Amino acid sequence: MIYYVAAISLILIGIYAVLVKKNMIKIVLGLTLIDSGVNILLVSLGYVKDKTAPIFSNPTLTAGDMVDPVPQALVLTAIVIGVAVTALALSIVIRIYDHHKTLNINKIRELKW
Amino acid sequence: MYLDPVLMIALPLFAAFLIPPLARISKGLVKYVPVLIIGFNLYETVMLLPHSMVKPVIVIIAAWAPPLGINLTIGPLGNVLALIISLVGFVVAVYNIRFVEEEPNEKYHMLFLLLTAGATGMVLTGDIFNLFVFLEITSISSYALTAFLRDRDGAEAAFKYLLIGSMASTFILLGIALIYATTGTLNMAQIAVRLKDVDPRIAIMALILLITGFGIEAEMFPLNGWAPDAYSQAPTPIGAAFGGIVVKAGVYALARLIYTIFSFQGIFHFILIAGIITLLIAEMSAIRQKQLKRMLAFSSIGQMGLVLIALGLATTRGVEGGLFQMFNHAMIKPLLFLSAGYLVFYSGSKNIEDMDGMGRVKPLLSFFFAFGAFAILGLPPLSGFWSKFIILSETISHGFIAVATLALFGSIIEAVYYLRVVGRLYFKAPHDGAKVQYVPKSALVAMSILALITLVTGLYPDLVMTYLKPAAAELIDKSIYIKAVLSAGL
Repeated sequence: MIYYVAAISLILIGIYAVLVKKNMIKIVLGLTLIDSGVNILLVSLGYVKDKTAPIFSNPTLTAGDMVDPVPQALVLTAIVIGVAVTALALSIVIRIYDHHKTLNINKIRELKW
Repeated sequence: MYLDPVLMIALPLFAAFLIPPLARISKGLVKYVPVLIIGFNLYETVMLLPHSMVKPVIVIIAAWAPPLGINLTIGPLGNVLALIISLVGFVVAVYNIRFVEEEPNEKYHMLFLLLTAGATGMVLTGDIFNLFVFLEITSISSYALTAFLRDRDGAEAAFKYLLIGSMASTFILLGIALIYATTGTLNMAQIAVRLKDVDPRIAIMALILLITGFGIEAEMFPLNGWAPDAYSQAPTPIGAAFGGIVVKAGVYALARLIYTIFSFQGIFHFILIAGIITLLIAEMSAIRQKQLKRMLAFSSIGQMGLVLIALGLATTRGVEGGLFQMFNHAMIKPLLFLSAGYLVFYSGSKNIEDMDGMGRVKPLLSFFFAFGAFAILGLPPLSGFWSKFIILSETISHGFIAVATLALFGSIIEAVYYLRVVGRLYFKAPHDGAKVQYVPKSALVAMSILALITLVTGLYPDLVMTYLKPAAAELIDKSIYIKAVLSAGL
């Protein structure tokens, strides 16, 4: 239960940062927070109390002693995707800073409907 | 004779990462790689068509039969969409040969291949998490391509798109987490079977999360704020690729979601209403635009609204019309974008006002634009007419008269702003200083292919409809899809 609470509060903090903060770096930080929250949520979905990692490290272990490996595989993929998005976001922020000399999104408003 | 369909995803991925070393050896060779690879995909999809029409082709990867392993499910719907994606990708790749010369072009071609690979993967996969991964491949390369021109507005548009897009992927991942927690599987066919026993409140929660996520890619109102900026600030061929490839994959995911996986009755009305709002808002915004490419972007959103209306009807004929509209839009919108790209280039300005008299300066180019405009408006001999006709007549026969009226109203607005541009092209005196140069042959070939397809499908709509009928049937009757996937391992 505590894991779910932690994960959902991380997601909410991240959404707050994305929606409210004006500094683009903080917005990107908010995105990474949301990512981590979702990842923790996924891992804790597969967690079974008192069970061990899904690796056959010890010959006495059976599949019943292990936590669900699928969410862990999903999270590995999601982490990689998150890193790629963050790197791209930061490089775009650098590009915007080069052009506008500011990180405040309220001052960068050239495209409108 | 077709080769292993996995190659349709593996080969573009492999080639994309082969491009940077290849560029060190020979700069000139790089631009032919996408043409070759996507040409191969086109061949594969055409060769697969007779097989998938009879019975979905299930590709088992690494000997793990579904529902345990990840599998490719190439049913009529997936195959038709993969064909559309490869066709648009091929045409845009031909156009790219001479269009992209100034920038570090190997990166451009690499990202373009990744985008096509991701979108092809999205429409072929049978695993919902795999769908998410391919969506991310597609959207990450779209973000990078939006910012490709290194100008002020490109970076801003890319940042907006990236923010909205990564929120979308978060929602999708949360939805997948909910589904996995309640059904214990990621295979779409098995989810569809097991979701009946799940608490409907949780299922609706997951559905809302997933629809929000995929709705962003499918340009559903109010989630489409990224589209006009990204379309207009990205390089022109990429605008065409957004309209023909990225959005099609998003709509596919949405359709698969509401028809095969969930199929709650209430959701179809929601999609219908979202569609009509999307259509009206987009058309009304399009008429206010001063820039040609922004106008085309809003028109693209409007067309997707029409597709959503068709999907929301949830009748066989309606879905056929919607798929036909998707096909037409995938052919016509790139034609408009590709010709608009050179019109903008030769007039030296993005504004519609500066297009005056281009019909005299560049007759062939303006002809292609006018042809595309007439086709998308639905002038009877051209293909846009048939799909609009099917959708509207189906809407009326199911009693949604108000929706049909509003959609027709949207079409009138559309006619006004397209004909305004066409009128300026032909009936105004050209400005001085318009550059008169030859349009490269590769671009003309690309546009002629699209124009020819539009003309032929307009004259013989049954050519396309024979393939769209099984695709619509696959959506309406989900048991075909489920049975094909789950019996594959036996």
